[in-house]
Amino acid sequence: MDDRISKTLKSWLRDTPRLALLAALAVVFLLPYAWMLAVSVKPKSEVFSAALSLWPATWHAAENYGQVLREVPVLRYLWNGAVVCALILAFQLAFALPAGYALAKLRFRGSRTLFAFVMLGLLVPAHVPAIALYIAFANAKLLNTYTALVAPFTISVFAIFLFRQFFKALPDDLINAARIDGMNEASIVWRVAVPNAWPAATAFAIFSVVAHWSDLFWPLIVITKGDLYTPALGVLRFHSQEAGDDYGALMAAATLTMAPLVAAFLVAQRRFIEGITMTGIKG
Amino acid sequence: MADAAIHRVAATAAVRAPIGEAAAAWLLTAPAIVAFVLMLLVPTIAVCLLALTDFELGVPTFQFVGLDNFAELMRDRNFAIPVRNTAFFVALVAPLSILMGLVLALLIEANPRGRTFFRAAFFLPVVSLMVAMATAWQYLLHPTIGPVNAILRDLGLATPNWLGSSEWALISIGLISIWENAGFNMVLIMAGLTAIPRELYAAAEIDGARSAWARLRLVTWPLLGPTMLFVVLITTIRAIRTFDTVAALTQGGPNKASELIVYTIYREGFTYLRMGYASAMTVVFLAVVLGLMALQTRLIERRTHYG
Amino acid sequence: MTGISVENIAKRFGDVAALKGVALDVAPGEFVSLVGPSGCGKTTLMRIIAGLEMPDAGTVRIAERDVTGLRAADRDVAMVFQSYALYPHLTARQNMAVPLVMRRLNGWQRIPFLGARLPGTRNIVANIADEILRTAQMLSIEALLDRRPGQLSGGQRQRVALGRAIVRRPKAFLLDEPLSNLDASLRVQTRKEIVELHRRVGASTVYVTHDQTEAMTMSDRVAVMMAGEILQIDPPERIYGDPADLRVAAFVGSPSINVFDASVETGGRVAVDGYATGLATRASGRVVFAVRPEDLAPDQRVGMPARVEHIEFLGESLLLHARHARTGTAMIARLDGRERGAFAVGHDLLLRPDTARAFLFESGGKRLRAERMAQSAAEPVHG
Repeated sequence: MDDRISKTLKSWLRDTPRLALLAALAVVFLLPYAWMLAVSVKPKSEVFSAALSLWPATWHAAENYGQVLREVPVLRYLWNGAVVCALILAFQLAFALPAGYALAKLRFRGSRTLFAFVMLGLLVPAHVPAIALYIAFANAKLLNTYTALVAPFTISVFAIFLFRQFFKALPDDLINAARIDGMNEASIVWRVAVPNAWPAATAFAIFSVVAHWSDLFWPLIVITKGDLYTPALGVLRFHSQEAGDDYGALMAAATLTMAPLVAAFLVAQRRFIEGITMTGIKG
Repeated sequence: MADAAIHRVAATAAVRAPIGEAAAAWLLTAPAIVAFVLMLLVPTIAVCLLALTDFELGVPTFQFVGLDNFAELMRDRNFAIPVRNTAFFVALVAPLSILMGLVLALLIEANPRGRTFFRAAFFLPVVSLMVAMATAWQYLLHPTIGPVNAILRDLGLATPNWLGSSEWALISIGLISIWENAGFNMVLIMAGLTAIPRELYAAAEIDGARSAWARLRLVTWPLLGPTMLFVVLITTIRAIRTFDTVAALTQGGPNKASELIVYTIYREGFTYLRMGYASAMTVVFLAVVLGLMALQTRLIERRTHYG
Repeated sequence: MTGISVENIAKRFGDVAALKGVALDVAPGEFVSLVGPSGCGKTTLMRIIAGLEMPDAGTVRIAERDVTGLRAADRDVAMVFQSYALYPHLTARQNMAVPLVMRRLNGWQRIPFLGARLPGTRNIVANIADEILRTAQMLSIEALLDRRPGQLSGGQRQRVALGRAIVRRPKAFLLDEPLSNLDASLRVQTRKEIVELHRRVGASTVYVTHDQTEAMTMSDRVAVMMAGEILQIDPPERIYGDPADLRVAAFVGSPSINVFDASVETGGRVAVDGYATGLATRASGRVVFAVRPEDLAPDQRVGMPARVEHIEFLGESLLLHARHARTGTAMIARLDGRERGAFAVGHDLLLRPDTARAFLFESGGKRLRAERMAQSAAEPVHG
């Protein structure tokens, strides 16, 4: 027993330099979060006087968060963010799952060409078609609508690519068995392929939501009306127009808009990391 | 009876398969094709064509100007500066965030102790709303009330105006990007590390690779090759299209010192509404991205060994 | 003088005792197989000999040197892994060079480009190249030396892995299921080649396998392991013909040995449901009577009553699957293939064990030394 304790102790001791280095780095990485939370509950006077103390002398959380909720429709922004992310994801999956299946499992003329277009699409950053899309939406009087926020991202060539790779690994015999059992291709997609694609679909969903929840470029272009602001746009506007150097309120706003995704991450940490890694590695 | 029915179905299915399969394939891909053409293909081609015009939003007429936009870009100081800034930025952010990610991944994977916690801590920036974190960084780096300068002041060091001075603004944005990307690279590299068969380390040990360094050189580094190729590519592209922090913190200032190319495109196209000119910038941007990807793939592939 | 000597090795993984005080001696140049079902601890024992795993207790000696505390890199052992574990980015030649380079060149000399310019490097490198070529010739893989593992077939990879192990002439040679990733025909051929190679190299060899045929055909001695213990170490013919434990008897031989619940009656006579087996023992109570399929044959007069359930015709032989008429115990008899026509499913017959070659075990599994009784005593007790 003693032997075991001394063994554990020794292994901790040997591990100390590594743990110390990692802990120091983690402190640096988490610094912005610590101060963001601290400042969000400090009164203005403390923000200006005692920069290095994390714990507030006077608790000012109610005032800061209250001010944000009063002056800025934060909940509205969060709602917009959720709606936009959900719509984008729904369309991406609805378009990409069948396409990925067809490219992986069906033989037809033109499949190689289609796949070449997918690979080509992977190389083009989303900023490239933005100007033309903006002109089109402006002419169609679609600026300042959910449509403008969602439509450009309904197609994800990356999702098609990911699902194609995933379906490739599905045994052909499974598909053939479904055909023998009398299913047509559409029902094979929804009843055989998709239920087997959950790992890839979850991974992609996490990747997609993270990307679009945080996106600033496109909402900044097509949205000017406050009631359609996404969280990212809301923070930016609050930052540049109203808050000035009222850091308490600003940090409260930042905390509120960031909270949903970070909370989701902390709850389903492994899923998130697996999701990003899987989409990352295969991309 | 049932037998006969199954035979008949199987027979018709066999005959019909090739045509039915193609029709089904087109039906299944149709929504994706339509969306691809409308949202990606046509707009991208349109941008390439717009680059050859003097189109401005709100101006009723426009005309074909050939390569004039590109000629103007070559002379335009307002374009040369962001291009130079972006090159410097990528050269700063990509190597450092990859190195940081590699060091973190190797340190965390060296021992399962603390793995989950550290991985989450370093990954947190990836799932954080960048604009919100940018405001937190702005406070941290604030020249007078910011904690970073408070510490530097206590240590008796110089206290730069991180985001407000032309010497430091771009570097500060770069540091934030390194902070943002290191955790992302870390999880990619960790995935690459776990994919290395454990038996190879046992073999290296048997073969006499005594030090951790020898095993790193013999096994880890070569087998991480394909992962590193991918990490280098994706980090370069992530760095080159940095926008959020610039928009939130400096708007490219002071005096364009921290202006990056995507922000220039944004301002030219959507603030000044000079769409033709912004399109030409976009085309250059696209060409640079494609060129870099081709170059890196080529360079790294030559030195990477695939099993 | 011993090649490899292992004493009292114990190893726990959490609450599971993987090895419970194992001892094993391998003479110089001897080929010993560790065989047993998966999870019996054979791979753990090999990894402990290699130095890839540290034992909780016990000592490991290689060529008379205590290496218990040494790491793998400092022991003079070579190992062939189940997955071959070839470095995928190195050619076959470079793979074989690794163990030599790591041992003969120092850190400075191993630095690319620069190292080659240091004094002495050139000579060492030339020697290494020579030795690789000689080993490659021995394995007939000279033509493959400049290929990467990805460009080699399974059998070729296996040879390169063997080459990497042999090239440095180790004192001890460890093979961990090296044939399990090959297809059946290649396995038979490689079996023979490894034995020949062993004869030429002459190093003490420990060979881990779950395949009893490999163990029986290749080794000087076989160690049968189960549940973290070595049950018996003996030459193959003794393992088969004189098992020390019921589990050894049951593990070796295909189809598996027939096992009957037996009772000890007056005078120590052993009977299976009333059938006097002709064996006697000093033990009392319940014992186990076991006889191999080839030692069980139909008899007109005496034997255990059985009903034929299934017949497998294998060509030169035929397997009669039957069930004891009263106890329901399953039994298999191996008969001459030419008797194919003599039996049919559903037939009732008497199966008589060859007493001379049957075994007795305690109900706990340990072998009981049985005495053969006079032939007259082998008459059926009940008609």
